[in-house]
Amino acid sequence: MKIIDVDVVVIGGGPAGLAAAIEAKKQGTKKVMIIERDTSLGGILQQCIHDGFGLHRFGKQLSGCEYADNYIEELNTYDIEVAYDTIVVEILKDKTVYAMNKTDGIIEIHPKAIILAMGCRERTRSQAFIWGTRPSGVLTAGTVQRYINIEGYLPGKKAVILGSGDIGLIMARRMTLEGIEVLGVYELMDSPGGLSRNIAQCLVDYDIKMHLSTTVIKTHGNSKLTGVTVAKVDSNRNVIKGTEEYIECDLLVLAVGLIPENELSNQLELDIDPLTRGPIVDDQFMTSMEGVFAAGNVVTVFDLVDYVSLTGEIAGAGAAKYLKNELDLKQEYLPIKSGENVSFVVPQKIRLNNLSEELPLYFRVRNKQEKTEVGVFELENKIYKKRHRVVLPPEMIVEKISTKLIGEINTPLVVSVKEV
Amino acid sequence: MIKNKVINILQNTSDISHYEIGVSVSKEKIVTLTGIVEEWKDVVNIGHLVANVKGVKNVVNDITSKDVNIKEVNNDIEIKATLDKGVKEECDVVIIGAGISGCSIARSLSKYNLNIIVLEKNGDIGEEATKANNGNIHPGFLAKPGTLKAKLNLRGNKLYTQLSKDLDFELKRPGSLVVFHNESDVKKFKVLKFLKKTGLGYFIKSFRQYMKTPGLKWLSAEEVKQKEPNLRGNPLGGFLMTTMGIVEPFEVCYALAENAIANGATFKLNTKVLDIRKTNGAVNEVITNNSVISCETVINCAGVYADEIAKMVDDKFYTIHPRRGAIAIIDKNRKGFLNTPSGVLGRSDRSHNSKGGGASVTPEGNLLWGPTAVETHDKEDKSVEASDLDYILNLGQGVTDQVKKNEIITFFSGIRAADYKEDFIIEASKKVRGFIHVAGIQSPGLAAAPAVGEMVEKIVLKQNRLITKKLNYISTRKRTPIFRDLSRELQDELIKENPNYGRVICRCELITEGEIIDAVNAPIPATSIDAVKRRSRAGMGRCQGGFCGPRVLEIIAKELNIPHTEVTLKGGDSYVLHKESRS
Amino acid sequence: MTKEFTCIVCPVSCSLKVEAENNEILVTGNQCKRGMIFGQNEFTHPMRMLTTTVKIDGKNLHRLPVISTKEIPKDKLKDLVKELYKLTVKGPIKRGDVIVKNISNTGADIIATRTIQ
Repeated sequence: MKIIDVDVVVIGGGPAGLAAAIEAKKQGTKKVMIIERDTSLGGILQQCIHDGFGLHRFGKQLSGCEYADNYIEELNTYDIEVAYDTIVVEILKDKTVYAMNKTDGIIEIHPKAIILAMGCRERTRSQAFIWGTRPSGVLTAGTVQRYINIEGYLPGKKAVILGSGDIGLIMARRMTLEGIEVLGVYELMDSPGGLSRNIAQCLVDYDIKMHLSTTVIKTHGNSKLTGVTVAKVDSNRNVIKGTEEYIECDLLVLAVGLIPENELSNQLELDIDPLTRGPIVDDQFMTSMEGVFAAGNVVTVFDLVDYVSLTGEIAGAGAAKYLKNELDLKQEYLPIKSGENVSFVVPQKIRLNNLSEELPLYFRVRNKQEKTEVGVFELENKIYKKRHRVVLPPEMIVEKISTKLIGEINTPLVVSVKEV
Repeated sequence: MIKNKVINILQNTSDISHYEIGVSVSKEKIVTLTGIVEEWKDVVNIGHLVANVKGVKNVVNDITSKDVNIKEVNNDIEIKATLDKGVKEECDVVIIGAGISGCSIARSLSKYNLNIIVLEKNGDIGEEATKANNGNIHPGFLAKPGTLKAKLNLRGNKLYTQLSKDLDFELKRPGSLVVFHNESDVKKFKVLKFLKKTGLGYFIKSFRQYMKTPGLKWLSAEEVKQKEPNLRGNPLGGFLMTTMGIVEPFEVCYALAENAIANGATFKLNTKVLDIRKTNGAVNEVITNNSVISCETVINCAGVYADEIAKMVDDKFYTIHPRRGAIAIIDKNRKGFLNTPSGVLGRSDRSHNSKGGGASVTPEGNLLWGPTAVETHDKEDKSVEASDLDYILNLGQGVTDQVKKNEIITFFSGIRAADYKEDFIIEASKKVRGFIHVAGIQSPGLAAAPAVGEMVEKIVLKQNRLITKKLNYISTRKRTPIFRDLSRELQDELIKENPNYGRVICRCELITEGEIIDAVNAPIPATSIDAVKRRSRAGMGRCQGGFCGPRVLEIIAKELNIPHTEVTLKGGDSYVLHKESRS
Repeated sequence: MTKEFTCIVCPVSCSLKVEAENNEILVTGNQCKRGMIFGQNEFTHPMRMLTTTVKIDGKNLHRLPVISTKEIPKDKLKDLVKELYKLTVKGPIKRGDVIVKNISNTGADIIATRTIQ
């Protein structure tokens, strides 16, 4: 068995892991290692051939592959070890990491710090509770994207898409351009799940209809999918009897949500936030276990890769500081709480002594609201405010709080969104 | 007179008394029913009513209902095609159906100098009820006393221990726990204990099965709490059936088949029986979509189609009415949440005919809720409806309210092959020499499987006393490596030996490329994504093949040397990919 | 004449109102200059980036992702994509390599967005 000692091991070489590894290295960490399950770095970005990435980070529209490549090129200028085609099978509570691949067999890694950057996975048909038979031709949007963009295969001729999140919208356009007839996008909720610009350029441009408050309730066909039944739902998301409609199709594409991939976090028994379904992190994106950091979609599913990279940088810098003993690990945490119309906030807690000049807060609203103000409060004291014309649940809000303003009184911070 | 009794009960049962039902009774006491009713459930109700009339051996239920349209099967064109093709084969025994029963029988008979062919219409073995089973090796306590089911269940349960060692499949015996919350149930169980201890139960017919069941234990409230701390509420006590076992049903089926193959049996997949020909009152030829097979013995283990196979030799004396059962599997995060398949007394409204389900556990540690029991006219109706899941969740909720609906990672259903007597039918045909019925095998068919094999072995030996034992019979079988179960050191060694074990394909279940290649190249090759899943567990985890699906497809294509577009999800025309995107 | 568009320049997805008045095109609802340009273009001649894949004889990968170097007329998109589908390029290809120069005289090149051996 191969035994390796490193300073920081980064699990996952997608956008979060890349940014984290680079940042940890930049901040003076000696031995940084990335463990990547695929044969190349970049993660799911490699199958995102469409443009629209990196406007925040690089100031221009890049395709997913290009965005990833920018980081990979930067990574290559540093001495960072990457283990490809390698998977982590277990992490012990003493931070021993077991990984494996074809050439080395089982690898036992002893890191001083760990950065979890495993990303997220797609919800499946069972989790969307679609009834009926279990034929072929029912695939998640990410799988369809891989088949079409990487492997070069078309999984059907006529497709119905369930879910109007960004992946669903992107795939509607992609499939249309590949000659698959897209019969419609169906969304259980009464408002779209994806960004408005994607509705414009992926659906409107191609005359694809979106059906809100409508869902796929049943699949047909024992062997190959022959069709689906869709139906309207009421405000409680219950099917309205009599609205059922049969649609003949041979492909059902599921874009019904993403879930942080936290199997390894669970092995470590990290504290998990039931709202984000990811580990609770502090201002350094350090989890409930000292020296274990988390970045990107493992923490919560972000809608922009730019944010994923940013959290990677925070975690990478945090790990470097941790190794240099620059972090105060004793100070009492101040919790950050979700107030009015806020469904969650990341990070969930902070240590005043460890804050840098700005503290970015990532959060989502519960409900759509117009003419609003985001407020950050210490009790009655509003330490930060910002106006938003409209806030939507699918669009994450990021506010950067000047840390000089925090901590006047030792009390939890509350983030609220209110009408003004 | 049986006929009068039958007519009497049909006329005196509300809901059905207005129907005109034709009744005829053969001298073997087989009742044949004809007529038209409004709904399918009436067909089933009438069948059960008549089967329960004292003296009735079985029921052929030819009643049709207005709400369903069952097509007459006509194989004439296909039969002609096979005859025109002219491919002929020969063997001693044809077994129709490679489910758990067919495979167990194949293995039992492979001890002898017999040329055995097992025919399976699907692309894989165990694809029907076997794979959709909850994996319980029932203690035999709940089977109706005096039935064949009851006898074979007890015997089968006992045989499993040795079988699991011989065939190297996983068997756990966590026992099965029934808990109760009412004082009255406490009393009932005290009486049971008394009857068992004193042996007095033997004098009461309805208690005989219970008296014969070994390993029963009574637990106090504290003992229940200690054994299963996560059960809902505070049970007053429990009843533990220690002989309850759990297995992966497909694994057992596969192990039996592989061992039969090692001993010379041949399995023909994608092979459908179209007709069976007789000469001089004995079976002579089996016609399939591929060939004509001459043989001396035909064993009918065709599950839901057993009645249709029996009809081919004019010995249909039972009707199979399909009963769907749906199961839900819970995320492995709950591993260890329950250790014992458990139920709460008086909670499940179980159909009196099928062993209803509850909360069980798989050998891998997933919680398993179900199955349901829903009568259906369609033998291929493997759908799951909202009502199924409601029922399943209700069962689960009775046991624990902590496991939530969103922890379910998958649900699926299978069809039980029930006859109207709701018992196993295992016997040599009284009309056709060489034809053996193995029909009506539903729960506890998995638990009984080894005993079913044993029983059919005896029937075959009795029919042909010249059969001799093989000298070189191989009684054991070793499974291919299961990477996840090995120690890190052994894993490391295995990868050094064969690097394919070093590449993980299914991350949720930790299944390696080596294991998938093993599955595709197994004695009964896995040629579809689902077949790979059944053998290796790849795709059985929480992401349900989202990540590994494309990779498994690629490995199958490579190993079988076929284009990606020809790989199926589950055989037949269930292709995953329509075509290459540029050509 | 007034038209409404959703700006696709960035994820903010502003709702734009575009009016033509005396040879001048007025954009409102935008929050940045790029939004204004998008609104004007969308009103007169909608432009889009082109992204797709082309076939590649690569060692491991069989599709090469490509992008246009600048936006091209929206109504030409489908035809151009079809043209690209007829291509097969030979590996190795580096990110940025030009696959088609000045495609259909749009002034945009089609370039590779991934390095493939």
